Amino acid sequence: MQFRMLPLFLLAAIGVVLAADIDYPLDAPGPDGRRPGGTLTQSMPAPPIANDENRDLKRERNYPDQPPTIPHSIRGYQLDMNGNKCLSCHSRANSAKSQATAISITHYMDRDGQALAAVSPRRYFCNQCHVVQKEVQPLVGNSFETIDKILQDDANAAQKP
Amino acid sequence: MKALFALLKDYWGILRRPSVYYSLGFLTLGGFIAGIIFWGGFNTALELTNTEKFCTSCHEMRDNVFVELQDTIHYTNRSGVRASCPDCHVPHEWTHKIARKMQASKEVWGKIFGTINTREKFLDHRRELAEHEWARLKANDSRECRNCHNFQFMDFTRQGKRAAAMHSTSLASGEATCIDCHKGIAHKLPDMSGVKGW
Amino acid sequence: MSMTRREFAKAQAAAIAAAAGGLPIFTSASNLVTEADMVTLDWNKAPCRFCGTGCSVMVATRDNRVVATHGDIKAEVNRGLNCVKGYFLSKIMYGVDRLTQPLLRMKNGQYDKQGEFQAISWEQAFDIMEQKYKEALKNKGPESIGMFGSGQWTVWEGYAANKLMKGGFRSNNIDPNARHCMASAVMGFMRTFGADEPMGCYDDIEATDAFVLWGSNMAEMHPILWTRVTDRRLSQPHVKVAVLSTFEHRSFELADIPMVFKPQTDLYILNYIANHIIESGAVNQDFISKHTRFAKGADDIGYGLRPDNPLETRAKNADKANTWTDISYEQFAAFVKPYTLERTAKETGVSAERLKALAELYADPKRKVVSFWTMGFNQHTRGVWANNLIYNIHLLTGKISEPGNSPFSLTGQPSACGTAREVGTFSHRLPADLVVTNPKHRATAEKIWKLPAGTVQEKVGFHAVQQSRMLKDGVLNVYWTQASNNMQAGPNIMQEVLPGWRRPENFVIVSDVYPTVSAQAADLILPSAMWVEKEGAFGNAERRTQFWHQLVSAPGDARSDLWQLLEFSKRFTTDEVWPAELLAKAPEYKGKTLFEVLFKNGQVDQFPVEQMEVGYKNDEAKAFGFYVQKGLFEEYAQFGRGHGHDLADFDRYHSERGLRWPVVDGKETLWRYREGLDPYVEKGSEVQFYGQPDKKAIIFALPYEPPAEAPDADYPFWLSTGRVLEHWHTGSMTQRVEELYKAVPDALVYMHPEDARAMNARRGSEVKLISRRGEIRARIETRGRNKPPRGLVFVPFFDANKLINKVTLDATDPISKQTDYKKCAIRIELISVA
Repeated sequence: MQFRMLPLFLLAAIGVVLAADIDYPLDAPGPDGRRPGGTLTQSMPAPPIANDENRDLKRERNYPDQPPTIPHSIRGYQLDMNGNKCLSCHSRANSAKSQATAISITHYMDRDGQALAAVSPRRYFCNQCHVVQKEVQPLVGNSFETIDKILQDDANAAQKP
Repeated sequence: MKALFALLKDYWGILRRPSVYYSLGFLTLGGFIAGIIFWGGFNTALELTNTEKFCTSCHEMRDNVFVELQDTIHYTNRSGVRASCPDCHVPHEWTHKIARKMQASKEVWGKIFGTINTREKFLDHRRELAEHEWARLKANDSRECRNCHNFQFMDFTRQGKRAAAMHSTSLASGEATCIDCHKGIAHKLPDMSGVKGW
Repeated sequence: MSMTRREFAKAQAAAIAAAAGGLPIFTSASNLVTEADMVTLDWNKAPCRFCGTGCSVMVATRDNRVVATHGDIKAEVNRGLNCVKGYFLSKIMYGVDRLTQPLLRMKNGQYDKQGEFQAISWEQAFDIMEQKYKEALKNKGPESIGMFGSGQWTVWEGYAANKLMKGGFRSNNIDPNARHCMASAVMGFMRTFGADEPMGCYDDIEATDAFVLWGSNMAEMHPILWTRVTDRRLSQPHVKVAVLSTFEHRSFELADIPMVFKPQTDLYILNYIANHIIESGAVNQDFISKHTRFAKGADDIGYGLRPDNPLETRAKNADKANTWTDISYEQFAAFVKPYTLERTAKETGVSAERLKALAELYADPKRKVVSFWTMGFNQHTRGVWANNLIYNIHLLTGKISEPGNSPFSLTGQPSACGTAREVGTFSHRLPADLVVTNPKHRATAEKIWKLPAGTVQEKVGFHAVQQSRMLKDGVLNVYWTQASNNMQAGPNIMQEVLPGWRRPENFVIVSDVYPTVSAQAADLILPSAMWVEKEGAFGNAERRTQFWHQLVSAPGDARSDLWQLLEFSKRFTTDEVWPAELLAKAPEYKGKTLFEVLFKNGQVDQFPVEQMEVGYKNDEAKAFGFYVQKGLFEEYAQFGRGHGHDLADFDRYHSERGLRWPVVDGKETLWRYREGLDPYVEKGSEVQFYGQPDKKAIIFALPYEPPAEAPDADYPFWLSTGRVLEHWHTGSMTQRVEELYKAVPDALVYMHPEDARAMNARRGSEVKLISRRGEIRARIETRGRNKPPRGLVFVPFFDANKLINKVTLDATDPISKQTDYKKCAIRIELISVA
């Protein structure tokens, strides 16, 4: 906290200069969130645009119902009324040749749960649920625990005398 | 009409008679120089039509396909090596180039009569236009792709898993050619219903 | 311990897997994956925490933690689908920096405006709040305290806050962040129909022949409704989709008629379509003669800036913006006549061909049309007008209040309708469309609230933007915000938001779940419970009220906003906050606390905890000793029952996937105002817009007027701001989910590649975006999901490290007081090319 105070005082001064009619500091210490505390008047530098993770390695899902994230770049993949590039690998018919994950049966179902002859139009725009991942580190950690972890903790606890 | 025929007949007469006043050497050399000038001029003119600047001087190209190209990896990428319109759409070797240029007379016709002079008209024709290019590249085994992307020099260890798998099998065996899989890599696609692989 | 072969194999596999993952595991623990009592998850329904669509999700809990979520197949809204945000709801509560204790700025053990935050107890937190409130009330009266709430409040939280502020503290300075989001829609409804909220419902989507998106990017902002639109469009090829925006975005992927128009010129297009309908003879004469009348609204109404701004002093009708005079149909026709196709094409930059195609969708009597809009219309200095003008088109053709014909105002927040609008947490409203300026309405509220006549103040309180200005001017001194993040979402942060919060004598309290930038700028931070950590209710865009149970406990000392409000109300007695003459009218309240008067009033506390559904937690009921949520809801429902806003009984909502009000005789209403569909419409009348005294909707003559600020030589670019699919509003929750963060980590400047090239920049270049008010740094994106035309950039506002609202302008619609976040002028300076 102390270390952050020095630039803070400098910036508080700038904050005062910025708004001529204001004679009190606009910055003050604050808890760190996504933004470091006490930096509100600053223009934070923007990190470079990161690349898409493109390793084709399937990632663990947090729970079975989670849509898998896309493990490859999709730059230039057309997805509009004219065509759906994703399906040229991920459709049932193409998945054997491409060895890509075939989209699940739910994607063939209409609003009433009835299976259709082709992919349901309500699932047409894949990127409403499936997203690529950039090569970046999370800004803030997350302590979500999967059910496997919880069950194992339970089991571990039960095992201990 | 008769007068025209008479005139042509007179010229033909002059042309078929041997020269009385000029030496054979002069005529040969003159013809040679004229030929060079003509040929050079023709080729220069041809090459002028073979530039992105020329292609995009028409709004049909500039506002439709060229705008779309600018998003793609064939326009902007890591190393800055890029493809311009003729790199993919005009054969590099002379005889094929002339053949393609002759076909292009139809495009001039289209330009004059405004076949695709609005966005709507362009979109209406997009499938047809795309099919021409797919057919051309399919027929010539994706020759213009291969001008840069030479199978011999592909390093599969530097390719993605999926890419290496496809290239080392289907492409290697000649079962498939580039355009079979790589449609719509430089421009937006038309309605793809019924297209194989889509 | 004996093991079957199968068990042994599984144990081995599990042990190998665990070893690979570096996890310790007991081999005999393999059977944990088969024992029913261990693998059975507790699944319950809850509406999604994010947008106004109101999807229902199923939430699995185990050991007091949420472990999974998925789309609710039984929910009419989404039938098993969620968008990417919805699918990651399980993780939004588990960011590691969750606030779990009250924090106060302190120096030497005392509150200090420049102090560092230190953990304190709730008791201490309420002590300092009480002190600050009492000081302000004593010195300057109820006008000096204010509250900023939310369309993300639960229904009862909003109701309790509204009642505490307007009926307890007697201050109308309460406004929700929905002001930034829905206020223009509200005023559009009130002016045209005299009653808030859409007449149609989502079932319109499956019944229509054409969709027109007016400045709405549903593909990203209402993804599940977009799946329904996509479904309809792709499965019925005759259906057409028109998408209008100031830049190309994802919704254009489904557009048959795409249009990119110049900012603000939507007003031309709207009037042109009305003109086209009239000139092509497509007016439904029978409908307009029976069910509508015509009016000319006041024009030249200013831009909702501070009154000394030249734009305000120059405006002729800034003080009577929301007035109109009656005109005839002929006068209306003459008014829109100058909005010709040629002129509209020239002013908007859209081809005449496309404009005509759009107008024909509306004019064609055989085609049903749904119009959708959200922030493109509402965040607009003429947003109320834009709302009125779209109703004009639907009214002129009679394409309204029936399946498939629907002008549909979508909402941004999960309970913008349910809480902000229906509960009336705006500075001018009371529940069920009542307003504080109407003496009868105040009397109704006082009667239901069992408060003496004259308790509720007549004067309209400070609206959201005005609250910021009044804090800065020192008029407002104590300010409490809940479930909102105005230091990131409010306009013109550097000049009009931050100075007010930081003004030395002001005291700002922020209730939130994470250290948002608002929390960082606050003086006291209160840790809140969120979503399924409390029992709640939301109301979505189609008038659907949905409930959920508390499923897990909030971490540490975090408490729901409802608990905070009620607990704090115990700190005041009527003698301290009410004048003697008011108290004299209700001597029985003398010496009572506001908690006793407002919440333990024999109504709110009438349902014992035993009435709660067995098996669910309820921390508030436990704390106060009665079923608080039910009591508040049932009291609130008195406002609307029998008045066109009927809500069903409390308990029923817990077993339904929501019900669309008015719920009359147990049945929900899908389409309002049409005979046979709406029980409030009289027999033989066909259609009744019963919000208006004569039951006729008003068709408004309103012109094009220029925006508050437009690009010029010094600031040559338009700036438009908004959201992205992967993040919810200011990103406080979604940016703490790894997958969503990694999908879209930073706000980018979406820009035309040639604009970038012209300044020697390109994709990835770092630039400064500078307006007359503030600046930020960000990176250019030239090939992303948004493709602006030359001269316009789009920057989303979710990123706490790129506060784009430092740059935006606090110009509002003068009628709705909603900010125009879509238009201001900026210049762009290159910092580094790579």
